Amino acid sequence: MTPYTETLRHLARLPGVIVAMTAGAKDGLIIENSDGAGSRGDASAHRHTAALGAFLYARSGRASAAAKLGEPVFMRLEAERGQLCVVGCGEIVLLALVEASANVGRIRLDMLTARGAA
Amino acid sequence: MTAPTVGEKWVEEPFRRFLDDARIKCGVVLLSTGRVIAQYGFAGPDDVMSVCALASAINASSRELGKQLDGKPFGELHHAGGERQLYMGSCTVGGSDYLFVGVFDAESSVGVVEMYFGDFRRALEESWNSSTPAAPTHGDFEGDLNRSLDALFGPIE
Repeated sequence: MTPYTETLRHLARLPGVIVAMTAGAKDGLIIENSDGAGSRGDASAHRHTAALGAFLYARSGRASAAAKLGEPVFMRLEAERGQLCVVGCGEIVLLALVEASANVGRIRLDMLTARGAA
Repeated sequence: MTAPTVGEKWVEEPFRRFLDDARIKCGVVLLSTGRVIAQYGFAGPDDVMSVCALASAINASSRELGKQLDGKPFGELHHAGGERQLYMGSCTVGGSDYLFVGVFDAESSVGVVEMYFGDFRRALEESWNSSTPAAPTHGDFEGDLNRSLDALFGPIE
């Protein structure tokens, strides 16, 4: 159990969420995922998603700083067949891989609530 | 990025792509016996020779340690330093065990390096299968080592 276990379970139960994970912000290694709580997909793809998602979030932080916008709060990558949402929570990042049709507003709210609670 | 130097042609393209994708600052591919196959970012043969000898010894120790602790050899090793980090991984291609040792910094992450190392392993297997590499030689370790270093850095004058 970590402070994010319940958040991950909750996110995984939302319609359209493929998997929710926490990963190290610096190393991109998965700390915990929502496996067993309705997540789909293969473990290798999840590892890759976490590694690149955390890396991309770190890069977006640099872009945000360069633009004098401060810390990034929420990152959403929209692709052809789905979306990747990332929220930074200090030493970790919270990631949600979702289908294109998912209610991103609800997912965003829940991820930001988890960040606020942390 | 300066070009990596390779002793075996079939390793060149996978190695170059891996270095680029994973943002490796310097790295070396070697046989588990310590013979160098390819290098990037090292100043000269002495550095490469030291790294290969150490990597080979670390691999032998960690494999044995893994067997004793977990019944199977450890596959990867990561050392997180202050600014720079070290990653070591192994793979078997064409019946020979190969090691990779690389250094990266905050421009990359161990998750990213680990992921691209998986791609590198697959690319090496494909490259091996689609080319006709020279069979590895056995028995003349010192001669092999010197020939490899000469191929990467030129003959020592």
